Amino acid sequence: MSSLMSIKNMSVNFDTPGGSLEAVRGVDIEIPAGMSVGVVGESGSGKTVMCRAAMGLLQGSTVNRTGTVIFDGHELTAMSKEQVRELFGSGMAMIFQDPLTALNPVRRIGAQLSEGLRIRLGMSKSDAMARSKELLELVRIPNAAAVLKSFPYQLSGGMRQRVMIAIAIACNPKLLFADEPTTALDVTVQAQILQLLRELREDLNMSMVLVTHDLGVVAGNTDYVAVMYAGEVVEYAPTKKLFADMRMPYTEALLDSIPRVDHKSGTRLSVIAGRLPDPTHRPAGCGFAPRCKYAQDKCTTDHPELKTDPDGHVYRCWFPIGEAL
Amino acid sequence: MFNNSKFTKPTWLSISWLGLMLFLAVFGSLLPFKSWKFVYEDDLGVVPFSPGHILGTDNNGYDLLASLIAGTRMSIFIAVTAVSLGGLIGSALGITAAFVRGKVDTVMSTLFNVGLAVPNLVLALALVSVLATNVDINQSVPTWRRVMVLIVSLTIVLIPILGRIARGATLSWSGRDFVTAARSMGMRDRQIIMKHIVPNVLPALIAVAFLAVGVVIIAEASLSILGVGIPDGASWGGMIARGRNDLEYSPHVLYIPVIFLAITVISTNQIGEVLRSKLDSREAKV
Amino acid sequence: MAGSGTAHMRNTVDSVLTVRDLTVEFRVGNNKTVKAVSGLSLDVVKGETLAIVGESGCGKTTLVRAILQLPPPNSGEVIFDGTDLTLLPKENLRSARTSMQMIFQDPISSLNPRMTVHQLLDEPLEIWDRGTRAERDERINKLLFSVGLEPDLVLNRRSYEFSGGQCQRISIARALALDPRMLICDEPVSALDVSIQAQILNLLLFMKETHGLTMLFISHDLAVVKAISTRVMVMYLGKICEVAPPDVLYSNPAHHYTRALLNSVPIPDPTKQIRTELLQGEPPSPMNPPSGCRFRTRCVGASALCAEQEPQLREVSPGQFVACHHPIV
Repeated sequence: MSSLMSIKNMSVNFDTPGGSLEAVRGVDIEIPAGMSVGVVGESGSGKTVMCRAAMGLLQGSTVNRTGTVIFDGHELTAMSKEQVRELFGSGMAMIFQDPLTALNPVRRIGAQLSEGLRIRLGMSKSDAMARSKELLELVRIPNAAAVLKSFPYQLSGGMRQRVMIAIAIACNPKLLFADEPTTALDVTVQAQILQLLRELREDLNMSMVLVTHDLGVVAGNTDYVAVMYAGEVVEYAPTKKLFADMRMPYTEALLDSIPRVDHKSGTRLSVIAGRLPDPTHRPAGCGFAPRCKYAQDKCTTDHPELKTDPDGHVYRCWFPIGEAL
Repeated sequence: MFNNSKFTKPTWLSISWLGLMLFLAVFGSLLPFKSWKFVYEDDLGVVPFSPGHILGTDNNGYDLLASLIAGTRMSIFIAVTAVSLGGLIGSALGITAAFVRGKVDTVMSTLFNVGLAVPNLVLALALVSVLATNVDINQSVPTWRRVMVLIVSLTIVLIPILGRIARGATLSWSGRDFVTAARSMGMRDRQIIMKHIVPNVLPALIAVAFLAVGVVIIAEASLSILGVGIPDGASWGGMIARGRNDLEYSPHVLYIPVIFLAITVISTNQIGEVLRSKLDSREAKV
Repeated sequence: MAGSGTAHMRNTVDSVLTVRDLTVEFRVGNNKTVKAVSGLSLDVVKGETLAIVGESGCGKTTLVRAILQLPPPNSGEVIFDGTDLTLLPKENLRSARTSMQMIFQDPISSLNPRMTVHQLLDEPLEIWDRGTRAERDERINKLLFSVGLEPDLVLNRRSYEFSGGQCQRISIARALALDPRMLICDEPVSALDVSIQAQILNLLLFMKETHGLTMLFISHDLAVVKAISTRVMVMYLGKICEVAPPDVLYSNPAHHYTRALLNSVPIPDPTKQIRTELLQGEPPSPMNPPSGCRFRTRCVGASALCAEQEPQLREVSPGQFVACHHPIV
């Protein structure tokens, strides 16, 4: 299986008045072509920063990115900002948690949607409008002609997210970054949007990186999962394998702590005590050690290396689950 | 509000300058100067940096430094009083309107909008000419009466400006859940306003009040130039108005009060701006 | 439904809260009216946790605010501890409210950023003049301990120095300061990270047991509701669809909306994915709700009857009440 994007040993540091803040460290991920990869973690785990850094969207003098990112044969980390920008739209595209802030409030949907088509693909105004209508139909927006003439505030949250998806897929990108695309939506609308993304990926043969805090969303919508904790990928495996055979204690603890509709009511949830380590002062050992029920002395002193099982299951733990001490 | 943040140089300069002005306004009369009304008959139109007259004198023989110190007192007094009164009344009206909502709010907002629509100089001009002029033009109006009328008219101008800001801030704070929580624990409305609304609205108001002080100083000067300010050049505006006549022979008589006024207004604006941005970043954190 | 009716009312002496025929409407702009809650009845029995579930705009938050008289409903009764709150004069309402305390969704907005934790917790005690300075301080320390915070470390800090989970703990401590009989939680864990959610939910369960509280718990998250409730009420467009104990409701939903809602919940297990009967479209405007059953426009089981006649709540299995002409059997 060929890899569409490969991130090698990528770290991201922010210079802050309180010192250097290590938001992402040593991330290695392969995003296979045509697949959907979930990036799951709590707030502060670095999942959003990791994706934006991989796309080259983090800029400014306070951001330091190291490592290499190769996308579709291009080494993004060696390219200029302009060259990377060329890849947006037809190579990579992105959708956000809050579509309202990502859309211009004073321009009609049609104008915002057709603009990209005219600039990127050099379409004429009328062609771009016709294609915009097709795109809105593609994302299952009823009455597309009317929506083209509306302003963002006139649409519901679900409709706005559909419009964002239409804008993102307008130039047939190979890779779609979806950053918490359904977090702001109601469950029924979330289910609709996730279904739409699944269908579009199939129809357009598009890969997707789905950033989310919700293990449920990951379980049903991805082929691979990367679990992030304190700026690191702590476990990476095919989704089915990960849920069936967890190696990383953090992933297990996270899964045990979420309430589930498929469990009996009144089930006490197990709790992960404590909280994320301070990103300006990373502990010497494993970042999860102080909260981990399996932690040994070694965990607090030595930083665990990435280990790979023969079947490709990657994790970062000295004493993984399922291995005798 | 001031901790854990360093001020930039311009901010420190502004603070120092305003501190100096405040000192002059309060203790200026205790300084070993002769009265600003003392006429140095031998030193008419002396240029700045002359012995005995650091800032020179004007063509009437008044020492400019002494005049400036006296003017500082008047200008700062008028500005601070008008802004305090305007802020007090404006915020009382604005907070009440936003807290009570409904008809009270509609009426109050309309009044504020009407107030804002009236050009403030015109309003002040009208008030001063009606309230502080004598029917008998041969009898001069006492200075205190002019000052009072000036303060009243500037206060009236400020009420809708500060009132609207207080109203807006109250609207956003009174929608917070902690206000609902206070209600549900049985707090009276008056207590909610005093404990939960006012302390949160105040910082925004203070930031704007600094900007308002600058506006008022300029307004007072403009009124003086239009001939309805403090007579006899007892304020910065009065000095500018008088210096205008000597522009040809002693330009420094005009420039020196203008420079003082400009630096003061720039300083209040700078501090107002710093307070506002501090507030914004703090609110972003909250 | 979503329909009306009172079949689910238990009318026992144990009822802490009884709401009858509650209606809340807002005027918006040009003589349009948002029908946020329409003729809704419910009762909460001592010691139970009634969860109200529904999507945004279903009226669940408006409903609990109306129960607290913040603002009062347009019509209907809210009987708490034998007194109808809608008839109480302002001064009596002030003291009646203290037995119903609220916990909000946004942990930051629910604490005044200018007040220290000590001031925040002292406030309710001060208003009602509970004890001397020393007694109040002791009470504050106890409250903080009970929600898992170290008083010495937190007393003099302000809300913005805490994480969301800690703020929520402070809110819980404050809500318990006046020994309320009922705790009203409005999406108390929605803004929190998953690992913190569990901490707060367990704390609420613990507090409920130790303080003998009755709870009204609003959430859009069916999984959270399942973990905490003893009775669940599903709302759609200001009306009740279904009322049942959680295990019954989740395993055998009788209302088509309940089933669609359950099918939409993502399950963190790749082998248990349900993709059938997803709800299509979005809810109609509450300014102009459909006739008859308000859910009929999106319902797979709707018939002509649903447009003509509003379904009434009826019992379909012990403890399970549904407002539907054609319930799922």
